[in-house]
Amino acid sequence: MSKAMTRMQSRKLQSAIALFLSGMAALFGLFWLGFILWDVLRHGTAAVNWALFTEDPVPPGTEGGGLRNAFIGQLMITGTATLIGVPMGVLGGTFLAEYARGRAISRFISILADIMVSVPSIVIGTFVYAVMVKPVKHFSGWAGAVALAMIMIPVVLRTTEDMLSLVPWRLREAAFALGAPYYKVIVQVVYRQASVGVFTGILLSIARVAGETAPLLFTSFNNAFFATDMNKPIASLTVTVFQYAMGPFEEWRAQAWAASLVITIFILAITIIGRGIIRWKYGNK
Amino acid sequence: MNNGNDIEIEVKNLNFFYSGGVHALKGISLAVRKNTINAFIGPSGCGKTTLLRCFNRMHDLYPGNRYEGEIVFQGRNILGADIDLIDLRSRVGMVFQKPTPFPMSIFDNVAYGLKLRGIKKRAELSERVERAIRHSALWDEVKDKLNESAYRLSGGQQQRLVIARALAVEPEVLLFDEPTSALDPISTAKIEELVVDLKKEVTIIIVTHNMQQAARVSDTSGFFMLGELIEIDGTDRIFTTPSNKLTEDYITGRFG
Amino acid sequence: MPTIRKRISALLKGGSPIDLIFASMTAVAAFTVCLIMLGVFVSLVRESSLSISKFGAFSFMFSQEWDPVKEMFGAAASIFGTAVTTVLALFFAVPIGIGIAVFVTEIAPDSLKGTIGAAIELLAAIPSIVYGMWGLFTLAPLMGRTVEPFIQRIFGGIPVLGHLVSGSATGIDMFTSSVVLSIMVVPFIASVSRDSFNQTPSILKESAYGVGATKWEVIRDVVVPYSKRGVFGGAVLSLGRALGETMAVAFVLGNSKRISLSLFDAASTITVTLANEFTEADTDMYLSALYHLALILFTLSFITLAVAKFFISRKTGEHDR
Repeated sequence: MSKAMTRMQSRKLQSAIALFLSGMAALFGLFWLGFILWDVLRHGTAAVNWALFTEDPVPPGTEGGGLRNAFIGQLMITGTATLIGVPMGVLGGTFLAEYARGRAISRFISILADIMVSVPSIVIGTFVYAVMVKPVKHFSGWAGAVALAMIMIPVVLRTTEDMLSLVPWRLREAAFALGAPYYKVIVQVVYRQASVGVFTGILLSIARVAGETAPLLFTSFNNAFFATDMNKPIASLTVTVFQYAMGPFEEWRAQAWAASLVITIFILAITIIGRGIIRWKYGNK
Repeated sequence: MNNGNDIEIEVKNLNFFYSGGVHALKGISLAVRKNTINAFIGPSGCGKTTLLRCFNRMHDLYPGNRYEGEIVFQGRNILGADIDLIDLRSRVGMVFQKPTPFPMSIFDNVAYGLKLRGIKKRAELSERVERAIRHSALWDEVKDKLNESAYRLSGGQQQRLVIARALAVEPEVLLFDEPTSALDPISTAKIEELVVDLKKEVTIIIVTHNMQQAARVSDTSGFFMLGELIEIDGTDRIFTTPSNKLTEDYITGRFG
Repeated sequence: MPTIRKRISALLKGGSPIDLIFASMTAVAAFTVCLIMLGVFVSLVRESSLSISKFGAFSFMFSQEWDPVKEMFGAAASIFGTAVTTVLALFFAVPIGIGIAVFVTEIAPDSLKGTIGAAIELLAAIPSIVYGMWGLFTLAPLMGRTVEPFIQRIFGGIPVLGHLVSGSATGIDMFTSSVVLSIMVVPFIASVSRDSFNQTPSILKESAYGVGATKWEVIRDVVVPYSKRGVFGGAVLSLGRALGETMAVAFVLGNSKRISLSLFDAASTITVTLANEFTEADTDMYLSALYHLALILFTLSFITLAVAKFFISRKTGEHDR
């Protein structure tokens, strides 16, 4: 009987150790999260000041200056990308969830979109370079926006498809029974029912592309001056961080940290809000 | 180490609360005799499965559940805080509604409980696995494919496999939670035959919503409703001359 | 489902013209996805045609040369760097990711489950350029000054392992890059594994508890084997994402086109080569070679992601009865 006891004890010990280790893994993951965020906070707050948002870059070596052009540029590029990408994504998701529901083509495009979500973004950049930059021999904000839009479309498409599919068929039937044509059923009933989910999907896709650097490297490139002409290269926060971080100047590095802090806060805030909305509306996923 | 008589399990004024406060079992008292088949019957939600899961403290897996009262098994109150659950569950086995083979071979499935207890020698394992599978009336059908995945078996075979798995650790009590509800009539008949055969070695408690099944296999039947034990008696008596009007109504199909 | 299909086609036939227009708009939008993917592939092939005709589609992958002046290019160094950093990253990330998934699904109390899971997922939301910044200014110095010399002291003498950790430990190398990548990839593995684990029917787990198994035994013998397709798919998905990472790695990899056996040496990945040299490419052949690299990367990711998708979505097939 005592031999059985020690075996039981050893099994329980094994169990306790294994579970402890997995707890350590979770702690490990959380540690890195905290470490990175803390670091960004630490370096970024040291360099953030009003001038960052209100002044344009000055020649290296000179004091002062800011990244106003990069902020504006980032907003313009991301905004344009959203205007292009979101309607495409929502309409595409509508196709998969409504008109093509249950058919093979729907599954095919859905899988393709899932793959596209994870395709290297730098490759998208090279593609847009080939079709939008090389032919006209100059970089442009439009090219950058298109590159970002190409990343947004599959993300929005999939979330829209998922959210619309959650709407029970009965709801559509009720609308049909009242004599509504299908497009009205979709727009007035289905969209309304799924609006929170679709909107959150859009929000999360914006968070995703707002932090992208690689696709902008050879499309919108960068601009040391303030510019609002989308036909020309436009500054963006992310590319600026890329260039400044590798640069030799102390002020540049400080500004890179400041910009990183702003980007991180912005994106994390949107992500937390977005996920929070989903958890509130649809319960724990 | 027993009280001299032939009672295997005695439930003494058991109350059970699910997390959130739902009072699911109200003042249950009953005795289960050794080597008998005891059926718990009653309409959906009456608490029969809840009671069954008290016997191997399955409720402990989910936080917030609370027991009050006693269940005495082998001279101890198994609801006590000092009870070793792993040990308890090797003496009180359970078979579920749907067949639940583990993602392993047929042999490994049956050997699982034995391996947990440290039995490593191939010869001993093989012998005990074969014994359990024979006991479960499955040997002829699987003896040539012990190393194949358990998922290859049919539903009825899987359920018998699961019974073999439970038998391998030689429990004193076997709990069956609607074991044939997911099976076809032929498999159901085989399982019922098996259960009757098993009572020579183990004490059996079976929850079933199929009254005919209870009448066919059990020695004692307990009728539950809304968390209370309405009546418990020899099966013949319950099904021919029940003492309680509610029991009579249920038996004759007037509700549930 | 067939009834829904019939309904939809019936609707479209008898519907108003606006219905047709709207339906077509949605169809066009959906097909854009196909168009973009096809367009990327075709465009990459076209742009790399110069390089393909000079260096051969496949022999290009085995050549270590990278000389912009002599216009001799080969992908071997870049592919090597890509392979080493992603595999090493996965080597770190898979056990940790699975450990996190185990913790979140089986151990954490219900109140904490959501919060911890969400916190880990935040790791995936941090933009890769921020990972790059942190890697360059915080992790690399830490690696170069403390961690790597320490590792060198322990493993330096051992015959085979010693080669892996030789060289000057500056912190700008494959090792640091792999560490950064692994942190980025952990949330993906954790998330997919968690979803897989949650799909294990509780009745199966209860069966195992019912036979007297401990919590760890239930996880090891029932939950993980049941979910192994999903977990594998998650690992492959993370591989796919790690392949395409640029910014996180660009700052801490250096830019060496030499294939070195030491993890503490600088290297190159396809993405980093593209990021650093694309705008510097002054000849058509140079650019074409870069496109050739992009084509290789695109094909590799596509296949990897398709395989991952196959494993993640088909996992319930075997157990359905």
